[in-house]
Amino acid sequence: MSEDARLAGEGGVGSRVTIAISAIVLVLVCLFPFAWMALSSIKKLPELFTVPPHWLPNEPTLGNYWTVLFNSNIPRYFLNSCIISGGATLVALVLAVFASYGFARFNFRGKAWLQTFVLVGQLLPTAAIIVPLFITLRWLHLINTYWGLILIYTIITLPLSVWMLTSYFRGIPYELEEAATIDGASRLGILFRITLPLAMPGVVAVVVYSFVTCWNEFVFALVFAQDQSVKTLPIGLAEFSTEFNTDWGGVMAASMVMTVPVALLFLVFQRLFVGGLTAGATKG
Amino acid sequence: MKLKALAGGLAVSTLILLPSLAVAGDVVWWTPNWSQARAQKLADDFHKANPDINIKLQITTSNGLPQQVMTALQSGSGPDIIEVQHGWVQGYAQNDLVQPLDDTIQEKDDYNKAVIAEDTYDGKLYAIPYRIECTALLYNLDDYTKAGLDPANPPQTWDDWVAASKKMTAGGVYGMAITGGGEFGNTITRALPLIWMNGGDIISADGKTATINKPEAVAAIKFYTDFYAQKLSPDSTLQNDGVANRQLFIAGKVASYLTGQYDIAPIAQAAPTLKVGAFMTPHPAGKTTAGILNGWSYVIPKDAQNPTDAKKFLQFLNTSDNMGYFTDTFPARVSSLKLPRFQDPLLKPFAGMLPFGRPTPNTPHWVQISQAMFNGIQRILSGQQDPQAAMDQANDEIQALLDS
Amino acid sequence: MNRSSTGLMFILPAIAVLLMLIAYPIVYTVYLSLIDAHGALTGKNYANVLKPYVTRQAFGNLLYYVGGSIVFQVLFGTLAAILLNQKFWGRSAVRSITLIPWVVPGIVAATTWAWMFHTEFGIINYMLTGAHIIPGPVGWLTNKDTVMPVLIAINVWKLFPFVAIMVLAGLQAIPADLYEAAKVDGANFWEEVWYITLPLVRPVLVAVTLLLLIWGLNAITLIYAITQGGPANLSLITPIQIYQLAFTSFQFNEAAALSVLFFIVAAIVVAVYVKVIPSNTAVAR
Repeated sequence: MSEDARLAGEGGVGSRVTIAISAIVLVLVCLFPFAWMALSSIKKLPELFTVPPHWLPNEPTLGNYWTVLFNSNIPRYFLNSCIISGGATLVALVLAVFASYGFARFNFRGKAWLQTFVLVGQLLPTAAIIVPLFITLRWLHLINTYWGLILIYTIITLPLSVWMLTSYFRGIPYELEEAATIDGASRLGILFRITLPLAMPGVVAVVVYSFVTCWNEFVFALVFAQDQSVKTLPIGLAEFSTEFNTDWGGVMAASMVMTVPVALLFLVFQRLFVGGLTAGATKG
Repeated sequence: MKLKALAGGLAVSTLILLPSLAVAGDVVWWTPNWSQARAQKLADDFHKANPDINIKLQITTSNGLPQQVMTALQSGSGPDIIEVQHGWVQGYAQNDLVQPLDDTIQEKDDYNKAVIAEDTYDGKLYAIPYRIECTALLYNLDDYTKAGLDPANPPQTWDDWVAASKKMTAGGVYGMAITGGGEFGNTITRALPLIWMNGGDIISADGKTATINKPEAVAAIKFYTDFYAQKLSPDSTLQNDGVANRQLFIAGKVASYLTGQYDIAPIAQAAPTLKVGAFMTPHPAGKTTAGILNGWSYVIPKDAQNPTDAKKFLQFLNTSDNMGYFTDTFPARVSSLKLPRFQDPLLKPFAGMLPFGRPTPNTPHWVQISQAMFNGIQRILSGQQDPQAAMDQANDEIQALLDS
Repeated sequence: MNRSSTGLMFILPAIAVLLMLIAYPIVYTVYLSLIDAHGALTGKNYANVLKPYVTRQAFGNLLYYVGGSIVFQVLFGTLAAILLNQKFWGRSAVRSITLIPWVVPGIVAATTWAWMFHTEFGIINYMLTGAHIIPGPVGWLTNKDTVMPVLIAINVWKLFPFVAIMVLAGLQAIPADLYEAAKVDGANFWEEVWYITLPLVRPVLVAVTLLLLIWGLNAITLIYAITQGGPANLSLITPIQIYQLAFTSFQFNEAAALSVLFFIVAAIVVAVYVKVIPSNTAVAR
């Protein structure tokens, strides 16, 4: 019996109502501040800081979006962010897939130490590593380049990607791969034709994690991208602030521009988040 | 020094082999985004007069600036000119990250003495100031006159100040908002001058002893925090910085607060019908007022690629007229103050505070010392300690820093 | 043996990249922590950071903040994942909406929450006093009893979607026939969760908790943007203390010393975690 039919036939009204209520609560919790941000993005300046505060603008305006799209650096930075985040995600993914498979399926000497080492870099406070990394990147002539930031972001996201993907690979029953080995398939072949497709939800999760982390990263971008041609969206957000004043309407509008595309992208990736692929695969 | 060698060793070996990135005749200038247009104009003017020198602007933002500058300076590869706040100069100078500029500054006597002292370390000038500002009292004209106060006769003494604030506290409006939150600089700028006015100081003149728990200092701190204790400052004081106070002022919840003239324009933009007035910060009876001069200076990093041309450009930027044109608030040169744009009557109290500005103490641990003072003030405001106890604790912490 | 070297080859590229770019910072930081401003070797930096009370306070706050956050991030994230795994109309949209708190730029989320919790401007006080749930405005971010719980709540809001998505991905690998078998045995929904779902997503939960731990130990954006560690160090955590030492106080040597100490403690915690949590892997034979 398929999972759909099982769920459709079970529980009845009680569980449907629980699910519906829970889903609504979840949506409200997630959207509450976001709604405030969205509404702020269409308010004019005098309406943003009233006491007492009010939800809906009396005079809604699209002026903030106009500023963001036509009067700021956001469009250019959007492109840069896409390139850098996408590039880093791809590089980290490739490296992580291989490394995770190695950790998940093999035993070798020093494995525990190497696994710990992978995480070790993440434990150094940003304040401590930023100057030596800057020196290293400058030595490699990668300051103010896409590759420089891609490299930095790869190091930032790689350790956790490896760890997560390792656990997803472990979730795939080894018997499936074993069957292929007996049939004479190579390790790499197994990885790409069996394990990876089955672990696709995990891969998507890791891609989302990498991309979101790179997309929102500010400190390294600030230091390593000094030239407008490579600056990223978080820096664009900071540019809405002058010394004592912040264009809050602009910041909120820019935040919308930063957030909504990613959420929509995830919507598109949903079809890869499919489960049940391993069902029945090992039944005799 | 060994540190530089270690770091530089890696980089230098490659730099020798590969061509340098900056062409001779390029001056890279890190300038903040709020004055970008003016910076560009000055750069273009300079280039017309000196066609063989290219000024390249790289725009910085307020957010993350200390980190950005520090990383560039420490890694030995920064631009040629950076705009930094006066308060950071001591730290850079003490750590040998910027060059002395005694040979660059012209007509030094024309500059405000206090800010020159701020930028001086060990007898040498390490930065050229171009912008200074001081806080004064900004008030809502309607609330002020409704309370029966006369704009032509503003409060001069601390007692008058409290009395006026009490009169303006009515109908849900707070008479005098102090800062108690946000970045500690906000509160130090407003509270430390009160200590000075009262004859005290945060550390002794020789920089060896902490003096913040002496009677004069404690009385000044108590005066500051009493605005909150007596409910003349809003309930949210502990989370408010200068910007929050401005927003409360715009919303009509606050009748007056201490701030610089940079708030006048945002207030006009957000609340065009709100009329404002200003007066100089009151002082204890029989004493004079005081202030801290915040603002910005130019520094040239130790490892700048093109210091010669950079210095030439700095001299151009700091002529009386150019400085007057570029600064957001007031120029650091007295002669520039005569320019028309500074003659607005509303600016008069702020300009009047400038001669009373004093430099902050010249000690390596200044930032941590001011943080200790700020924490003490927060402990008083949150009710954890009374002023004497809070300042005693701050005194111990500061003494420990001075002894280390 | 063939097995061993194959495994090593798989992990080599990642290890090489990390080694190249992490080794130097580690050496640099350790070196910096052992010299003073003039380059002479000294242990003074370590003494100077360990002595003041603020270091212990910041570390204590950190443990409270990270511990409190992780418990609720994992709890709510897992519950959300289980919910999102059920079939219902609009599920894809709800999944995307769940992602939003995590995707929203940290600094914007922080300032929005700070704004909403503001004693005077905040919509939260406004709504709670309007509905008569509380008698008067509360100083959420200024009161010593509420500031850390509020910061933890904001942190949970920000990161539980991460847990939800990661666990959801893990849930997809659970074969449906296992649930069938349980149904036949008469298990109800929560028993299914307890006996089937949780054990099978255990590897993912373990990994996610570890990640949250590591992240939490280094994350300063939220607290720094909202309270800057105040009032009076009530919400100061060690990473912020390090940041302040390095970039606002010009004490890079002390910052390096504190970084090294912090790194050692964190590495020990992580190593213990890795060793203690047994990994039940089917290994390539």
